[in-house]
Amino acid sequence: MLEARDLRKEFGELRATDDVSLTFGETDGEMVFIVGPNGAGKTTLINLLTGLLEPDQGSVVVHREENGGTVEEDITGMAPEDRVGEGLVRSFQIVHVFEEMTVRENVRIAVLSKHDKTLSMRSVDDGHEDVEREIDELLAQFRLEDVQHEVAETLPHGDRKLLDVAMSFGLDPTYLLLDEPTAGVATREKEYVIETIVEASEADGVTTVTIEHDMDLVKEYADRLVVLHEGRVFREGDPSLLETDSELRRVLLGVDE
Amino acid sequence: MSRFLVDRDGETHLRLAEGMELTKNQAVLAAVGLVALLIVPDITRFTPLSFTAIHRGILFGLAAVGLNLLLRHTELVSFGHAAFFGVGAYAAAVLASQFDVSSGLLMLLGSVLAATAISVLIGYFVAGYLDIYFALLTLAFNQVLYAFVLQSGYFNYSDGLNVRPDGLNPPALFGLQLSSTGYELVLYYLTVVVLVVSLLVMWKLVNSPFGRALDAIGQNRTRARFVGIPVEKYVWVAFVISGIYGGLAGGLFALLQLHVSPEPTLYAFVSGEILFMAILGGFGTLVGPVIGGVVLVYLLVQAPFYIEYYNALTGLMLLAVVLFLPEGILGSIPKIGTGLSRRRRDPGLLREDVATIGSSLRRGVSRAATTVRIIVFGVN
Repeated sequence: MLEARDLRKEFGELRATDDVSLTFGETDGEMVFIVGPNGAGKTTLINLLTGLLEPDQGSVVVHREENGGTVEEDITGMAPEDRVGEGLVRSFQIVHVFEEMTVRENVRIAVLSKHDKTLSMRSVDDGHEDVEREIDELLAQFRLEDVQHEVAETLPHGDRKLLDVAMSFGLDPTYLLLDEPTAGVATREKEYVIETIVEASEADGVTTVTIEHDMDLVKEYADRLVVLHEGRVFREGDPSLLETDSELRRVLLGVDE
Repeated sequence: MSRFLVDRDGETHLRLAEGMELTKNQAVLAAVGLVALLIVPDITRFTPLSFTAIHRGILFGLAAVGLNLLLRHTELVSFGHAAFFGVGAYAAAVLASQFDVSSGLLMLLGSVLAATAISVLIGYFVAGYLDIYFALLTLAFNQVLYAFVLQSGYFNYSDGLNVRPDGLNPPALFGLQLSSTGYELVLYYLTVVVLVVSLLVMWKLVNSPFGRALDAIGQNRTRARFVGIPVEKYVWVAFVISGIYGGLAGGLFALLQLHVSPEPTLYAFVSGEILFMAILGGFGTLVGPVIGGVVLVYLLVQAPFYIEYYNALTGLMLLAVVLFLPEGILGSIPKIGTGLSRRRRDPGLLREDVATIGSSLRRGVSRAATTVRIIVFGVN
């Protein structure tokens, strides 16, 4: 279980994250969707959880099952690359991949890293058969086999998004934080992207925390909904709130009913 | 297919070791390069080419190969690699003149150790910086070292130190006290061996997972961090490896010149030259920096005999390379090769080339004429 405890982050006058306390993954493989209007602090929250930003106050805690009991570990202040080792992995709203590498090479970096093999001096193409096999599986899972030898920067946007997520999955995450995985993806492809992510996370029992603007997708896939507004947790609960809660609709859609 | 020949996508590759393969063209180039390296002493005996200048060029080229690890893979521009070259050279000189070490190989060991120590130290401070900050910090460390050596009596100020353990003869190589011609020849072949081994090691390194991790860091630092790569640590390691190459080259340079002073080894200008060598030879290639080193050093050594304003030469060459040969000498060979073979098949292309050059010349002349008219008459 991943816990945000009283997280606060200020940028000058603006309090982007205002005493946010949340838990993710109480049940294995939970799919949480974070929604909220622009400037609600969604990305800031993910940045705080994954270590791109340090909170001004509060802490990030990981709960782990060990020897029948739960162990708490405070990971506030831990470097992002070390959080990856704790199973905390993210993707980015603006695609972050290695642009000059092929799709396969991109995924390979992630899988090598998962196996702690990035310091290895053995040649890439030989002698890492287990790695290559895993890359094949990931490429199949994310339907990227056909473009595996294409250079990342030449891919269509939807495939780039999928590649970004595939790399995250290659790291064997326990908690996967996805910042708008469907942003900029054509409407008819959105479903496909989310569907692929859902399939993969169900197969591996990964807890996902996804920022999403498309409410149809949220309604369809969310186990739980978190609504952020002006840096605070505005609502938390079942996705059906989107239909029943008129105040929530006003905040999200800016419409009076 | 035998053990050394493998088939990749219908092309025959020469396989040297696991993951180390050459295409047919690369194998031919490598063989030509190796033969050229080995017969340099004979060529220079029968031609007016300068043996020492080529030797020196190879050494600076070796330092540029080290610098290129940062430039090509982590995409960091170091303006301070003379620091390691100089430290390597001074380590050898100090061992010879202050500690009476007479073995050249021991001096080289000293060079490598000293360069390692210095690059560990400098690398610790610069590994977290990017772009212009990285360039300026490396430059600053370089200048600090230069100023320190220049002011220090231990290093004999700007006059520098001799690399003659007994004050007269060059150091012993492999336990042999050689005559000056013999010494130069043995040292040259030692350099060739060091160069070839260093290139093979670098080749292996950049094709390993570690090399790919460095590529990843160069292409997107944030993403590299979030796939779990400890970015600063890896940059630090790469920085040290690259410093060791510089130190090794500097040590051999001391053995070649038998005298080390701050100006030609430690001065920041030398850092700029090493950087330029990598770009001139082709920083997208493994061997390019060596070629850049030989070409640039040779020009710098020979130019004063032919041209009055030889100092402008480096700048003019840099301009020419950036404008016309951005991938450097070696990096442009494939492109030039395909261009030539296409023209051989289709002579019409050649006529087009002439037309293109003609029209761009005409355009240049008319633009110049317009400019002159505007300056002279105030209107076009």
